[in-house]
Amino acid sequence: MTTMNKTDVEYTIPEVTPELERGPVWLRDQRRASREAFNVAEVPPRGLHLWRYTDPKTFLYDRDAVADTAYSENYDIVEKIELDNLKNGNIAALATDLGGRDIKLNGADELAKQGVVLSSLSSAVEHHHELVENYLYRLVNARTGKFEAMNGALWNDGIFVYVPDGVTVDKPIHLLRESGLARSSQFPRLLVVVGKNAELTLIDEYGGGSLDENEGISHANGAVEIFGLEDSRTRYVMLQRQASAMKLYLTHRAQIERGASMLTVPLAFGALLSKENFGVTLNGEGADSNMYGLLFGSGYQHFDNHTLHHHAADNTSSNIDFKVVLKDRSHSAYTGLIRIDNDARTCQAYQENRNLLLNEGVRADTIPELEILNEDVQCSHGATIGPMDPESVFYLEARGIERDEAIRMIVSGFVDHTLKTVPDDLRQRIGTFVAQRLERI
Amino acid sequence: MSDAIKQQNESLSTLNADYAAKYGFHDPVDYFHKGARGLNHEVVEMISRMKKEPRWMAERRHEALDIFYSKPMPKWGNQQALGEIDFENIYYFMKPIERQQDNWDDVPEYIKKTFDRLGIPEAEQKFLGGVSAQYESEVVYHSMKEDLKKQGIVFLDMDSGLREREDIVKKFFGTIIPSTDNKFAALNTAVWSGGSFIYVPPGVNVTVPLQAYFRINAENMGQFERTLIIADKGSRVHYIEGCTAPVYSTDSLHSAVVELIALDDAYIRYTTIQNWSRNIFNLVTKRATVHKNATVEWVDGNLGSRLTMKYPCIQLVGEGARGEVLSVAFAGVDQHQDAGAKMIHAAPNTSSRITSKSISKDNGRASYRGLVKIHKNAVNSKVSVECDALLIGDDARSDTYPTMEIDSEKVRVEHEARVSKVAEEQLFYLTSRGLTEDDARLLIVNGFMEPFTKELPLEYAVELNRLIELEMEGSIG
Amino acid sequence: MADFVKVATVDEIAVGEILPLTVHHRDIVICRTADGFFAVADECPHDSSPIALGHVDGHEVVCPRHGARFDLATGDVTAPPAVVGIETYEVKVESNDIFVKLN
Ligand code: FES
Repeated sequence: MTTMNKTDVEYTIPEVTPELERGPVWLRDQRRASREAFNVAEVPPRGLHLWRYTDPKTFLYDRDAVADTAYSENYDIVEKIELDNLKNGNIAALATDLGGRDIKLNGADELAKQGVVLSSLSSAVEHHHELVENYLYRLVNARTGKFEAMNGALWNDGIFVYVPDGVTVDKPIHLLRESGLARSSQFPRLLVVVGKNAELTLIDEYGGGSLDENEGISHANGAVEIFGLEDSRTRYVMLQRQASAMKLYLTHRAQIERGASMLTVPLAFGALLSKENFGVTLNGEGADSNMYGLLFGSGYQHFDNHTLHHHAADNTSSNIDFKVVLKDRSHSAYTGLIRIDNDARTCQAYQENRNLLLNEGVRADTIPELEILNEDVQCSHGATIGPMDPESVFYLEARGIERDEAIRMIVSGFVDHTLKTVPDDLRQRIGTFVAQRLERI
Repeated sequence: MSDAIKQQNESLSTLNADYAAKYGFHDPVDYFHKGARGLNHEVVEMISRMKKEPRWMAERRHEALDIFYSKPMPKWGNQQALGEIDFENIYYFMKPIERQQDNWDDVPEYIKKTFDRLGIPEAEQKFLGGVSAQYESEVVYHSMKEDLKKQGIVFLDMDSGLREREDIVKKFFGTIIPSTDNKFAALNTAVWSGGSFIYVPPGVNVTVPLQAYFRINAENMGQFERTLIIADKGSRVHYIEGCTAPVYSTDSLHSAVVELIALDDAYIRYTTIQNWSRNIFNLVTKRATVHKNATVEWVDGNLGSRLTMKYPCIQLVGEGARGEVLSVAFAGVDQHQDAGAKMIHAAPNTSSRITSKSISKDNGRASYRGLVKIHKNAVNSKVSVECDALLIGDDARSDTYPTMEIDSEKVRVEHEARVSKVAEEQLFYLTSRGLTEDDARLLIVNGFMEPFTKELPLEYAVELNRLIELEMEGSIG
Repeated sequence: MADFVKVATVDEIAVGEILPLTVHHRDIVICRTADGFFAVADECPHDSSPIALGHVDGHEVVCPRHGARFDLATGDVTAPPAVVGIETYEVKVESNDIFVKLN
C-alpha cells in the first residue's frame, strides 16, 4: 500500500455534527461561521505563495471516515517522564490531551492557588466564559483560512491557560498532546492569556500519530492563540515530534501588547508532512518578540514552515533565528515574513535563516520576506544554504576526531544556540532527538 | 571635499535646467498606418503583411495571440495596477511615414529634433558603435560603423534581422522565452515590432557598446519591441538600451521581450536605463541562456513608469557559466517598481551574484522579487544575493520577496537584505559641513547608487544622477 | 528501493492519458502513449508545476503551466522554458499490471 491513487477528496462539513451543537450560543455561532467559511472557501490554488511547496489537498480529509483510535505505547513513557518531572518540581503542571478528546490535568489545583487557570477548553467555556468568549477565535478564525476554519468548526476539546495580572508562574507548564494511531484525525486547540505584568513558560508538545503508512495516515489540524497583555513575559516552546505517518497542519498566532515580551521556540523533528505557521503581532508600543526555530529533517520528511512578525505599533522590536538541518531525502520550505505597518514607527526587525544540508538528495527552499511601509525602520534579513563547512570537518579530523563524531559536533554546535532557549529538562530530551538523527550519517 | 560636493551639485543643477524641454515634449503625431485600437487576429495579420514577413512568423504571431487569450493575468504582484490595463484600448501597431534610413542626413527633421533633445547625435559622436533608434513601433534610423560590418557583426533592427538573417532568427527566436511563458510574452510575440537583432561571430570582441534608444510617443500606444542577441563562441559584446518618454495623460503599455544567448566562453553585458513617464506599464520579459564558461550580466536601472514588472533571468546551462544582475530601482510618487532577478543554476561549477538597490520615496513602492534555483546537477555552485532598500518619506514602502530553491547539497547560497532610511548621523555630518539638507540627502542617495552608476558609461551615469536629482527635488524626508 | 513496484493496471490508463500516483513518497505520473507506458516525476523542473494536469502529445508530455515539453522516454527537454530534463522511472508491464522502478 505504498502506492496511492490521488483522488480528490471533496469534503464539506455537514450541517449537524456533535461539535457544532455544543456550548453556549456565541460558541455555536463561531463554529457555524467556521463551518460555513470552510465549506465555501476554495482549496487554495497550488503554486500561489504559501502553497507553493505543499499540496493543500493533503489537508483535506473526510473527518467522518475517522473513528477514535488507540494511542501509541510510547505515549505512556513520555507521560511518565513528565509526571516525574512534575513530582521532582521541574515543571509546575502537566496537562495531557488525547486527540483533543480527553484532557487530564496534573498540578492544576496547585496553580489555582495563585489564581492561575489550567483547564480544558470545554470546562473554561463554562467557568471562565467571559475570558474565553473575549479571546477565543480572535487570532485564528473563519477568516484566517480554509484549514483554520476547519479547526474552528470541528475542534472537540482543547486546553486553556490563564495567568492573572501580576502573577509569575515560575516553572514551566507542560502540555502533552497525543494524536491517535492510523487513520485518526484530531483538531487540537489552545488558548493562552497572560495577564498584565504576568509571566509564563509554556511547553506545548505534540506527539503520537500513525506509525506505519501501510496502516494509514493520521491527521492533526491545530490552532494556538496566545495573548500577552501589557508588560507580560511569555515563553512558548512548541515541540513537534509526531510519528512518521502523521500529517500536521498547525496555525499559531500570538498578540502582545505594550511593553510585553514573547519568546517563541518552534522545534520540529517529527511527522511525515507538516505545515506549521507561527505568527506574532507586536500590538503595543515597546513590545518585543524573539523566535528561535529549529527543524531537523530525515527520511522522506517534508516540512513547510512559516513565520510572521507583524509590527503594528511604535518602537517594537523583533528577531527571528530559524535553523534547518536536513538529511536523507528530507525537504524543508521556509517562508518568513516581517511586516512593518505604516503607522508603526521606529521599529527594529531582524531575521536569519540558516540551512545545513547533510547529504545529497535533500532539498531546501527559503523565502525570507520583508514588507516595510514606513521609513523609520532598521530591518535586515539573511539566509544561507549549504553543506557542512569542509574545513571545519577537516580541522576536527586532523585533531584525531573521527569523521562521524566531527559531523555530530558541528551539527550540535549549529543547533546549540537554539536549544539554549529551552528549559533544562526538555533540552536533554531534545538532545536525544538530535543524537538519534545523527546516528546514521 | 566640500568643494567637490559643491561642484557636483552645481553641475547637477545646470544639467537639470533643460529637463522640461528635454523630456516633457512631444512631437505632433503624424502616422501613416495608425491602425485601430484593440487586438484580434486581423490586426496580427495586418502587422505581419505590412512587414512582408515569412509565413512561419505570421503563424507564430497567430499562435501567440491564442496563447495570450488563454493565459491569465499574473495573480501576484500589484493587482490593482495590473487591473488598470485595458488591452482593448491600445494601439498595437504604428509606423511613421518615413522609411528606415541608413544615412543621418535622410532622417526627417522633427525626429532629429527629438533625438537632439535626447542627446543621441552627441552621444554618437563620442563613442557609439551604432545607433538603432526606435521611434514609435519601427526603427527609423540605423547606422552602423564600417568596422562592425567588417568584423561580421550583425547589428540590425529586428525587422531587418528577420529579412536579412532569417536563418539565424528562425533558429533562435522564441527559444529562450516561448509564447507560453507568460501572458505578456505571448502578447509581444503576437504583435512585436522593432527591437534589436545582434549576432557576434566566434571570437569577435565588440569593443564599443552597441546602443539603441527607444521612446514612446502616442497616446495609448503599445510598444512591443523584440530583441535577440547571440554571442557566438568566445565573443564579447556590450549592448545598451536607454529609454525616456514624454509625459502623456493616458496609460500606455510597454511589453518587450529580450532573449540573450551566450555560447561557450562568450560574454554579454546588457545595460538598461529606463525612465518611463508615470503613466506607463512596463512589463518586460528578459532572459539569457549561458553556455559553458560564458558570462551574462544584466545591468538594469528602472526609473519612472506607473508599474514596472521586470525580473531579468539568467539560465546557467553550461559548466562554469557565470551570471550577474545589478539593478537599481527608484519609485517616486504613485510608482511601483516591482523588479528583481532570476538565477537558474543548471550545470556544475556555476556562479552568480545579484545586487539590488532600491529607493522608495513619498508613497512610492519598490519591491524586490527574486528567484534563485539550483538544480540537482549544479554541484559546486555559488550564489550571493544582496538587496539594499532605502526609504525616504513616511509613506514609502519597500518589499523583499526572494525565493531560493536549492536541490543540490554541494552549494553555497547566501542572501542578505537591508532596509533603512537615510541615516541621521550622515545627514547631520554633511549639513554641519555646510550642505543644505536637500543636497546632503542627494549626496547620500548618489552614494547609495554608486555600485550601480560606476558600472555605467560616463554619460549614462551623468544622466542617471540628473534624473535622481530631479526625483529628489523638494524632498524633505 | 531498487525493486519494481506494482502501481496500476493497464486498463486504468487509456492512450494519451496521465495517471498521477504517490509511490514510496514520490509523486509520479504514468503516461500512456501509442508506444506504451512511461513514468516521470509529477513535478516540472521548470517551476515545480504538477505535470498531472498537462497532456500527452505523441511521445512527449507537456507541462500545463508554461508549456515546456519533455521526451517521455528520456526525460529530455524538447521545448522551453525548462532547461533541465524531467526525472524518469523505469516501467515494465506484465500481463495486465504496470510496474515502476524507483531509484
Ligand atoms: S512549470 Fe512547467 S513549464 Fe513552467
